[in-house]
Amino acid sequence: MIALLTGLLSTAVLAGGVLALAALGEVLAERVGVTDLGVEGLMSLGAATAIITVINVPDPWLGLLAAVAVGALGGAVFAFAAVIMRANQVLCGLAITFLGLGLSATIGHSVAGMPAPVTFAPTHVPVLASIPVIGPAFFAQNLLVVPIYLLLPAFFHWLLFHTRHGLNMRAVGENPAAADAAGIPVTAMRFWYVVLGAALAGGAGAYLSLAVIPSWSEGMVSGRGWIAVALVIFAGYRPFNAAGAGLLFGLITAIGFLGQARGWPIAAPVLNMLPYLGTLAFIILPVVLFKRMRRAMAAPAALGTPYYRSIR
Amino acid sequence: MMRFQRFPTAPARLVLAWRAAALVAAALIIGVLLALSGRNVFELAELVLKSTIGSRFGLEDLALFMTPLILTGSAVTVTSRIGLWNIGAEGQFYLGAIGAAGVGLYMPGSPLLVLPAMAIVAMLCGVAWIAVPTLARAWAGVNEIITTLLLNFVAGLLTYWLATGPWRDRVTGALASTGRIHVAIPEMWGVVHWGFPVALLIACGLAAIMTWTSWGYEVRISGANPGAARYAGMPMRARIIAVMLLSGALAALAGMFEVAGTVHRLQGGMADNFGYLGIVVAVLARRSCLAVIPAALLMALILDAGIVLQTQQLAATVVLAITGLVLLLIAIGDELAHYRPVAPAIRPATSSSRPEKKVTA
Repeated sequence: MIALLTGLLSTAVLAGGVLALAALGEVLAERVGVTDLGVEGLMSLGAATAIITVINVPDPWLGLLAAVAVGALGGAVFAFAAVIMRANQVLCGLAITFLGLGLSATIGHSVAGMPAPVTFAPTHVPVLASIPVIGPAFFAQNLLVVPIYLLLPAFFHWLLFHTRHGLNMRAVGENPAAADAAGIPVTAMRFWYVVLGAALAGGAGAYLSLAVIPSWSEGMVSGRGWIAVALVIFAGYRPFNAAGAGLLFGLITAIGFLGQARGWPIAAPVLNMLPYLGTLAFIILPVVLFKRMRRAMAAPAALGTPYYRSIR
Repeated sequence: MMRFQRFPTAPARLVLAWRAAALVAAALIIGVLLALSGRNVFELAELVLKSTIGSRFGLEDLALFMTPLILTGSAVTVTSRIGLWNIGAEGQFYLGAIGAAGVGLYMPGSPLLVLPAMAIVAMLCGVAWIAVPTLARAWAGVNEIITTLLLNFVAGLLTYWLATGPWRDRVTGALASTGRIHVAIPEMWGVVHWGFPVALLIACGLAAIMTWTSWGYEVRISGANPGAARYAGMPMRARIIAVMLLSGALAALAGMFEVAGTVHRLQGGMADNFGYLGIVVAVLARRSCLAVIPAALLMALILDAGIVLQTQQLAATVVLAITGLVLLLIAIGDELAHYRPVAPAIRPATSSSRPEKKVTA
């Protein structure tokens, strides 16, 4: 039983890390008022870049770095269109998704199906790894797990809710005109946090192709970017909740894997539907069941609307 | 000095001009990239022109591409009229294909009976597929972009499961596909089937409904100014539900046409991004149901050109990247069309910069 639970949680932590990292990035972009629907494409680009990098230079950290850089670059293109030019955010996001999916499949064509020569290997954190169940799941995995679930959410939580800079960020997302009047550089703030969020999405892609499924194939992101965007809503735009939501959906994926491994009488494609149906349920049910939660978990007021200084 | 000011409306001629500029810019970027990868751009361009609008086969393919694009484009356009985004046309397309294939595979009888049954069941399946996002949006205000989109992946998996599992072809043993459906939409011109004129008629019909009926008027007002619509006592919730369900039915009909007119079976991955490209078509059409037709033509041209590029050792996915680039540049162009030059501000002399106070003693 303990072994089963440990295995399930380990798989959940591994698979959920992709969603947690991408969702964390999206929290940043949405907190400053920009809906970045390009996550799916940016993750795909990151995944392809990481694999191509490690095939040429076998160092997973370099692969991660390259993916983060490509994610940031893609994010800069999106932010140029959606923040600086103030074009429709939904359209720009979809465009980046198309671009990312198309480009990654094109550049990844020659390495499709090749196994990654190096991956983020599991590393035991001393002492902590010997805690039953939780130890093997969190502290005996690859080295990225601890930053994704613990360090980054803690840092961004502190940044958002315990610093003046975070207050400014949230002001930009809630009421950009007031923030502007208070001397906060709205456009710069939005631009750089969208870029940072996109960099994390690129990193999530690298995590996917170097730790979860160590190879590249077209369509391997398979909606994880979109699930990450949905998780941000479910997480009420909070860093720790986003990481937790990623873990929860890792768990749903893990249950699907378990079903396939144990030969449950359910077809594999049906089990693969679980994460999508689960996400759907988790963004609809809380709103329907707990009306009071709507205010606490509400989106930033100016989310999705470009800011024009001259028009009120 | 010339000043530019943003206006809430964008005149059509400016939009067209900026879009032309966006398309030229996209063509330049693609051309430069192709040239950098060592290809002869002018030869390639000539080849693309010849095999799209310069040949009978190209034109037939163009019409075949346009048929589903008009329908999925209309599906996204009707929801955008009420201010919503149906990103789930891909999933509703699959459900339409599933419904149509189910009837086509298992209902015996003459095509005169089976084809309408396929269309009706397909549309009902599409309506059922968008029902949950619709109700969640109308009653709980849940973001319809995410909910409709997530169901696309479920629909894709469902199609794959049906085509490889319960409905798989037991006669020829083809992988990931059902057997051939015994009825088909008759062909009218080469491989172009009668679904093409029907799709054109549907687009025109939708435009007429949106423009000339009070229902269409209420939908437009609800989208343009929800506050005013509510104040005027328009039943917004009912309109949102009706429009979203209609959207699902339209996308599903595209799936039925594809099953009964082109593919003649159900197979995994058969939606081929038509649902997502419907979003691009809707964006190009700028919420006009009639403009969906030329927009679908442009999109079909890009897809048609993609076939040629594939024969030139370029991956099929290049088309998706090109579509993304075009969409991004057009999104920027559409925003720029809101800016118009205005007369430079007249600086009053400093002494009279303040309006004189009226002295009331």
